[in-house]
Formats: sequence, structure tokens, C-alpha cells
Amino acid sequence: MKDQDNLAHRLALLEGVTIAPADLETIAKEIADNLRVVAELEEFAKETPWISLQTQPAGKKA
Amino acid sequence: MAPNEILELSLNDLSWLIAGRQLSSAEAVTAALTQLERLEGKLNAFITVLGEQARAEATKADEEIRRGNYRGALHGVPVTIKDMFNTKGVRTTGGSKILQDWIPDTDSTLVERLHAGGAIIIGKTNLDEFGHGGTSTLSHFGPVHNPWHLDRIAGSSSGGSAAAVASGIGPISYGTETGSSVRRPASYCGIVGFKPTFGIISRHGSFRGAWSQDHVGLFARAVKDITLGLDLAAGFDPRDPASAHQDAPAYTSQLEANAKKLRVGVLRKFLDGVDPAVRAAFDAAIKVLASEGGEIVDLDVPELSYAAMTSMLTSSAESAGINRRWFRERYHDFVPHVARGLAVGMAITASEYLTAQRARQRIREALRSTYEKVDIIAAPTTARVAPPLSEGVRGNGDDARHASYNQSNLLRFPSMLGLPGCSLPCGINPEGLPIGMQLIGAWFADQKVLNTSAAYQSATDWHTRRPAIASA
Repeated sequence: MKDQDNLAHRLALLEGVTIAPADLETIAKEIADNLRVVAELEEFAKETPWISLQTQPAGKKA
Repeated sequence: MAPNEILELSLNDLSWLIAGRQLSSAEAVTAALTQLERLEGKLNAFITVLGEQARAEATKADEEIRRGNYRGALHGVPVTIKDMFNTKGVRTTGGSKILQDWIPDTDSTLVERLHAGGAIIIGKTNLDEFGHGGTSTLSHFGPVHNPWHLDRIAGSSSGGSAAAVASGIGPISYGTETGSSVRRPASYCGIVGFKPTFGIISRHGSFRGAWSQDHVGLFARAVKDITLGLDLAAGFDPRDPASAHQDAPAYTSQLEANAKKLRVGVLRKFLDGVDPAVRAAFDAAIKVLASEGGEIVDLDVPELSYAAMTSMLTSSAESAGINRRWFRERYHDFVPHVARGLAVGMAITASEYLTAQRARQRIREALRSTYEKVDIIAAPTTARVAPPLSEGVRGNGDDARHASYNQSNLLRFPSMLGLPGCSLPCGINPEGLPIGMQLIGAWFADQKVLNTSAAYQSATDWHTRRPAIASA
């Protein structure tokens, strides 16, 4: 997905809320920053197992 | 006893005097309320003041103590709580316009325990809206001012609690921390701030900032006062899914000012960019710990470079999830900076959140190995002293939501991983503003953190300094 499309997709998640253009600009900048962060974290954590916690009753015994 | 002498008392001393009926709860509560009324116009540390109710409860406490029905160390003691905790019949706002008139019909677990212990809640303190911020400038009720310098921030999000304790408005306050909201304001306001291991104090009946990082914490001027407050507040609570099964709290009886043979880790590579006065105070504090018998160990944990990013992505996504309905229905009633932050969080996808949790797991494993080599990690709590209010949310230097700034990493990893941490006053800079050092322990090593903190306080007097406004 192109960066521009990706950002549009994200902003579409905010649909229904009226946000001022100046605020949207700030939000878009921070979303773009998040995408950079996720890429860094993905690389950093690629060898780490996915978390697999279940919700089980407290005090449960096998 | 003169009111200003009462305000100088530690919780421990105040408690002894009240228990021994050498001082009444009514006198202690009146002194604290008078101080509050005198300073509130300058500090804006409170959202709701419970004057009449507190005075009535103090009279009742005195009567109970007179009859021999003493309920423990906080009985009759004036305390304050962050306006994040539900109080039955008393408005609970979270610092938000959305709940500015909301009156809960039940108490939070913390408030239940304070009532059971006979503590007198005199007021609910100001904060960043629902705990989303690091400055205490993001409240619907206006910014909190730092008692050491009214043009500086108090730190946040529990800034009102820290400002109150630093000013002598009650010897103890309870706040919450999701990123740094106990340790940071404690550092900026020159007092002790302790955040226990995740799950030690129940969060039931308090607002969630980010459920996997939220903690209840305490502010006081001395470590022993923290343990007294912790003994009352800690304990398993089935109503908080994160609550830890634990023995009956006995932090005060096990408090021993001791740093002997303690391995204290210092992450020197993360200290670049720390203000010179803060660095000098921290270096001096480390020498004190060494002179108390601690062994200083140089550490390198490169995984911590990702701590701030991981923490911020996690809390951003979780806070958006928590506020999803209000975001849609009440967007314009949020403080604008908070609203924008929620919008950013709403745009984080599930797989991105899970990537952050995977990173979090890697950092947690790195810390697990680290705590096989050291008992405590020591660091400056913040890289600089309290910034000017005029700098707003940018003032902290580590508030950009995804800063990779070293100090942000040191400030945020304890909350993200649920580790116990204590910020202690360790200096005053040339402008007269306090400097803090934080001591971070392994999971459930709360007592070790408190004992080390007590050892540091027994060898120094930084915790005895007060802002001029407190006694003016």
C-alpha cells in the first residue's frame, strides 16, 4: 500500500468525528510517525515469540 | 501545637501524635485545609475540596480513638487522592469536562481501604485528563503549578498530588502512573514518589489510562510514610483482574534502611543529554549509595532503546480502546491535545499493537536477565528539572509520543514492565528547583526498593527541603 493510501485508510477510521483541518494535519503527522515506529519495532522483535496468554480462572490447577 | 508545626510533621510522627491523643485529628485536618485554602489560588492542585465532610470525619475519628477504637497508622490523618478514584457521593471528574458533574454511587477499592483505615480524605487532586499527559497542563480545570516555582509545571499526570504533598497539604497522597505519572511529578516537586509492582495495589474503581500499564502509586516526603500508606492500600482484590495474590502487607515492619552488598546498576549509555546539574546530583547520589555499602555496576541494556516507543504505542492504542465511545460522541469535550492523541491511537491497527507487545516481551526478557546481575537500577528520574509552564506539553522533552530520547526510555520502562520504582529527592539545581533519582527493582522486589530508598534518605537531607511557599 502506498504511504498516501495507508494514511487515508487510517484517517478513514476516524470517520464520523469532525476534526479541524489543522488538527488533522497534526494527527496525520503522528500517524506517519507511528508507522515508522512500528517498522522499527517489527525489526527489533522479529525473533521474539508472539504472546500467547489465555484468560483462565484464577487458581486453576492442571 | 502551631498549625505550621503540624504541617511539618511526617505521616509517621503525625500518626503517633494522633494515636497518643497528643494531637487531634481535627487539628491536623484543619491545619491541612487551611494550608490548602491559602495556597490553592496559586497551585490549582485540587478539583474538589472536601472541607466540611473532612472536618466531620475528623471529629468522628477523634471520638473513635478516644474510645480505644484505633484503626491504624492513617486513622485521623488528612490525605489527598488524585481525581482518578471513584468516591461515593463525591464528584469524580478524571480532570475531564465529560465527567465534570459525575457523582459515583460506589467507592474505588483504594477509597474503601482508606475509609476502613480511618484516613480523612480532604480533597481530590488535579491531573491531566484521565491521566493522559506528563505535565498537568492538560486538565479541563486548568494547569497545576509547581510549588517550588509557580511558573513551572508540577509534572504529571498526578501533578496535583505531588504539589499538595510538597506544600504540606497532607503528608501523603495517592496517585496513578501509566508512563511516569508518579515518579516524574515527585521528582519535579522534590518529594518521594513510589510506584509498586503491577498488581500490588488494586485499581478497581479508578479510570483506566492504559490497562496493561496502569498502577496506583503514592507520594510522601519520607520513605517510611510511603510504607505506612502502602500497608493500608496494598493487597489482593478480585475486582481488579491484574491484582496480584500477595501476603498481608508488612512494608513498614520490614523497612530497614540498608544498601549493604546491594548491586546497583547504572545505565551510563542512557545518560547522554542529561542536564549537567541533574547529572552531578545523580553522580553524587550514586556515591552515597556506594558509601552505604552498595556495589555500583555499569550496565548496558540496549533493548531499552525501544522502551519509550513500545510504551507509547501500547498506551496510545489502549487509551483509544478505552475511550472509543467518548471519542466518537464527545470528541470536542476532550482537552484538544488529548483528543488528538486519542485520534492517533484509534488509527493503530491490531497487528501493530501486537507488534508492540512482542517488542515489550523482548525488553522484558532483557530486564529479567539484567536483574540476575543487579538488585536495583539507579537513574536520574528526569533529564532536567521542571520545565516552564510556557513550554506546554513540549516542555518535558520526552513527550513527543514516540520519542526515542534516552531519558524517555529510562522513565517509561518501569511502568511498561510493571517494575517497582521510587523517585527520591537528590539535589537542588542553581535555580532552586528539585532534582530526583529513581531506584527501580525487579518484579515484587518492592521491599528492596524501599529499603534502599530509606538507606539513601538516612544518609542525606534532600527530602527535608521545602518550597518557600509552604511556610510563607
